[in-house]
Amino acid sequence: MRELVIHQSGPAASIQDSGRSGCLQLGIPPAGAMDADALASGQYLLGHSADEAAIEMAYGNLVASPTEPCHIAVTGAAVDLRIDSISARMHTVLRVEAGQQIQITPGAVGVYSYLHVDGGIDTPETLGSRSTSAREGVGGFDGRRLMNGDCLPLGEPNEPPSDRAGDLTHTPPGDLIRLRFVPGFQYALMQPDVIAALCENDFVVTPKANRMGAQLEGSRLDTGIETLLSEATTHGAIQIPPGGQPIVLLNDRQAVGGYPKPGAVIRSDCRRLAQARPGQRVRFSLCSPQEADRISWLEQHYRDTRLS
Amino acid sequence: MFEVGPAGEEGLRLVFLEAPRPALTRCLLRIQSAAQGYFAENLADSVVGYTTLTLLFHPFRLERDRAEAWLTEQADCATLTDSDDQSLTGTVVTLPVLYHPSVAPDLEWLADQKNISVDQIIALHTGTTYFAYATGFAPGFCYLGDLPTELATPRLADPRAAVPAGAVGLADRQTAVYPGISPGGWRLIGSCPRPLFQNGEHPTAYLAVGDSVRFEAITPQEYRKFGGEL
Repeated sequence: MRELVIHQSGPAASIQDSGRSGCLQLGIPPAGAMDADALASGQYLLGHSADEAAIEMAYGNLVASPTEPCHIAVTGAAVDLRIDSISARMHTVLRVEAGQQIQITPGAVGVYSYLHVDGGIDTPETLGSRSTSAREGVGGFDGRRLMNGDCLPLGEPNEPPSDRAGDLTHTPPGDLIRLRFVPGFQYALMQPDVIAALCENDFVVTPKANRMGAQLEGSRLDTGIETLLSEATTHGAIQIPPGGQPIVLLNDRQAVGGYPKPGAVIRSDCRRLAQARPGQRVRFSLCSPQEADRISWLEQHYRDTRLS
Repeated sequence: MFEVGPAGEEGLRLVFLEAPRPALTRCLLRIQSAAQGYFAENLADSVVGYTTLTLLFHPFRLERDRAEAWLTEQADCATLTDSDDQSLTGTVVTLPVLYHPSVAPDLEWLADQKNISVDQIIALHTGTTYFAYATGFAPGFCYLGDLPTELATPRLADPRAAVPAGAVGLADRQTAVYPGISPGGWRLIGSCPRPLFQNGEHPTAYLAVGDSVRFEAITPQEYRKFGGEL
């Protein structure tokens, strides 16, 4: 059986595809790749037709080798990539011989990178997905993050198309990331000065940002709202706990929560936020649902154009 | 009284502006089931909370105006009858619980606080049929209410870092079983040896929103027989 042996897993590597749906009521979050565009780029490069799983690395620091020859592609946040110590390019299809070492070390910008192998990582699906939900112990490899010595099964190889170049890597974020959010949930219950404080001040990504959500730090937001009755959270929901520092909920969020939320950041901006390192400044701005729809259609068109 | 509004760019949220009660939960469950039929594969997920139904759509599958109109009509037509509050139409589930200080660090504390005996606490906790209002917090966790007023108690000011799996907790007018080891701020009065979340290829939860739940006191011998460890 074709396998990928993990010699060094790095701090937070896990198997992810585009995530699972339909299990929030069960208390299981969607999980899935934090940078969906980077995942899509790799699948396109290798000619994967289905939703094949890849290895997601946070601050990529991984050493792995295949037991048989294979093709790989590395996408997402820029990393230093070497095959047996020889420098190699990201965003391109590379052939790796059996036993050769794929060595990945973090670059200067971004957080999440992806190692794709032709045929995909072939661990069993749970609830329709191979994504790892580590807190719940669901999916991926034994429901957990990768560890040194893991041997990951690989799917049936396919000959990757030779003519493909495609890269949806986001341009570096610059000084300030804009977080456009659709108002909702407890928006109407919040005083105008709370919304003003949220939109008129910069916040900074803290080191506590992770797959659950991006914890931010800035001026204290006093919503004056006591803990609410539990309700569903959504991707990008801005949660304001009693401490007054907002958290933008992401892929591994708790499915249900009781903290007030003035709205949810649109997916497009969540991707940029997920790739932001601690210290990155962000600023919230309101966005109508109709405007959010227009943005996502435009971005889909951009993706279709780039990956074809 | 209800409101329909966005839940982010891909979702809709229906909230009834009234206190939670079983009739309301049953109404939300009926609308959830209708939505699953109506929106079919366009719907990515849906969640019933205490007073809310959240519908989440796959990308580009939410026709906002049409879906909002449909959801508003459903809520408009919803009837909440008082008999729905009392009737036990959902599944009635009985959970075995060992009420003993060795597995319940707050049991004797609560007896002291309330100035009643441990036996009275057990009688009160097992003498009520609870309604499963909401899931969440962790897979298999289910918020059950309403706890008899005699047992109502505030949460710990400093949550415990690790509550053992099976711990039966109280907070305000709610009770619940912690399905797995987790941090937790509820007062612990017992331990349920019945697993509430089955992981594996097809994860399943033992309790669902809308279920009725009763607790049954068991002996240490029975607790061990169910697989509990003392």
